[in-house]
Amino acid sequence: MPSTNWADEVDGDELPQTFTDANGITTTIEYRTNEDGKKVKVTRRTQKKLIHDVVNKAVAARKKWPKFGKERMSAPGPNPATTNVGDNIKLKLSSTGQLAPEVDEKHEAMKAQLQNKKILCRICKGDHFTTKCPYKDSLGMEDAAASSAPAEEAVPEADQKAGGSSYVPPHLRAGASKGPAGGDAGREKRDEQPTLRVTNLSEDATEADVSELFKRFGHISRVFLARDRDTGACKGFAFVSFTMREDAQRAQEAIDGRGYDNLILRVEWAKSSA
Amino acid sequence: MRPILLQGHERSLTQIKYNREGDLLFSVSKDHVVNAWFSHNGERLGTYEGHIGAVWTVDVNSTTTLLVSGSADNTAKLWDVSNGKCLMSWEFNTAVRRVQFSEDDKKILLITEPRMGFPATLQIFSIENGLTEPVSSEPLEVIHPQGPKITVAAWGALDKYIVAGRENGSVALIDPQTGECVSTNKIHDLTLTDLQMSTDRTYFITSSKDKSAKIVETESLEVLKTYVTDTPLNSAAIMPKVQEFVVVGGGQEAMDVTRTSSRQGKFECRFWHKILEEEVGRVRGHFGPINTIAIHPDGRSFASGGEDGYVRVHHFDDDFFTFKFQI
Repeated sequence: MPSTNWADEVDGDELPQTFTDANGITTTIEYRTNEDGKKVKVTRRTQKKLIHDVVNKAVAARKKWPKFGKERMSAPGPNPATTNVGDNIKLKLSSTGQLAPEVDEKHEAMKAQLQNKKILCRICKGDHFTTKCPYKDSLGMEDAAASSAPAEEAVPEADQKAGGSSYVPPHLRAGASKGPAGGDAGREKRDEQPTLRVTNLSEDATEADVSELFKRFGHISRVFLARDRDTGACKGFAFVSFTMREDAQRAQEAIDGRGYDNLILRVEWAKSSA
Repeated sequence: MRPILLQGHERSLTQIKYNREGDLLFSVSKDHVVNAWFSHNGERLGTYEGHIGAVWTVDVNSTTTLLVSGSADNTAKLWDVSNGKCLMSWEFNTAVRRVQFSEDDKKILLITEPRMGFPATLQIFSIENGLTEPVSSEPLEVIHPQGPKITVAAWGALDKYIVAGRENGSVALIDPQTGECVSTNKIHDLTLTDLQMSTDRTYFITSSKDKSAKIVETESLEVLKTYVTDTPLNSAAIMPKVQEFVVVGGGQEAMDVTRTSSRQGKFECRFWHKILEEEVGRVRGHFGPINTIAIHPDGRSFASGGEDGYVRVHHFDDDFFTFKFQI
């Protein structure tokens, strides 16, 4: 096969190989010589997806209408002179409103009622027998004991790091490191809430996944999942604010070191932003 | 979500409207042209040219064959949607502030402004078979409404009544046959800026300069829901599907805008839960007050037009459809 374009030039004995696997993914492997005279292997994997869309007949007919007025001579497709795509904007929907304190009161009442109970679940640290734990299946028994150990080890490690170097960043200085969210006056309301930082999340994680994972420990007031500006994929970390400190504490102990989406989650107290 | 910016206007937007299927979006502004856009990608289908004054209002019939626009050049024009041809031009003594097709597409309602000694009128024209036959230049009905100036109006369910919003914040039911004001209810403190019907026209939403939007039942004019914000509102729309939301927008008066930054100006579309009357989210982006909001009939996107001359078409992200309001 003679090559028509110098850019696609290939050696005669190394024609591009193309094969399609069972999932419909076509792999094309070709060899070409780059600017430095080195041979490079180029592998392209493509997947074709046929999307069927049912549209109204009238809508389909309107799509074929010729353009008129100022657009009479324009080519099909959006004209960049009149149509542009703006910056990505996030519509963050939240249910937090006046109804939130009401929920807290109920929670408080339940807390008071259960205060004298000494039963502690080993899985979710709730006030019930371990065998009756509703999250027995999702959180798993075997990991429960292991989860608390790494959390304790992490503390001396952090101290060591701080001691080794002469400079101690302000947020690690005495006092600051112990408190989860500062508690200084003049901070915004959300900084006063006990907040956990969850890291090593997978790219596919969503706000809903994170809140699903944490809401079993108590009422969550806010979930913030860092997303990539362009792709919208998770950047791997999230912040979860609880209304009750004890809930956050239990969640931190239980979820830290646990596997989620093939990754080991790390949960620690969020440091308040300066 | 990445909004599509439509830059077909050189002056501030006055009204935008989707057709019944939502594939086309019509926009009018103070710069004399009417634009038609494909809502899915922002491609401009064409322009309707002929007005020589600011265009205040536009409406399209349910089969997307006829378009009517009202302008400050004292005319209302009937257009063939598919090719931009002007089929009819009605002349009036004053500017036309609102136009709307009746539910059966046979009539149009127009509001003319009171000015230079001419009283305000509500006029009804027949446009039956308007695409093929010449349309009468004489109105079926001319109503001289009493009381304060009417700023907005719409047909009620089955075209039984005309709902009119007045400058003093009251709404009135007007019988289109007799021209009588059947009932009236003062629901806002200041002038009404927008009035949009629900899909079945049994209730409607109003927005007002008194910083609130209200959902009102058509038959009884009883206020069902109130959404109180912190900024004068110019437009309000009801989401017909997907989520039980209403979208309201406005911002500081245009004449005060230069003195404030866009953040202080509160030029955001605010999403409110329709039933629970709680704000659930905001969409920023305009750098002038929002003059008009329209929601796609299938609830998957919405568009807003601002004093800044831009129309922004927003297609919702996936998480919008899965969102559940937690009490």
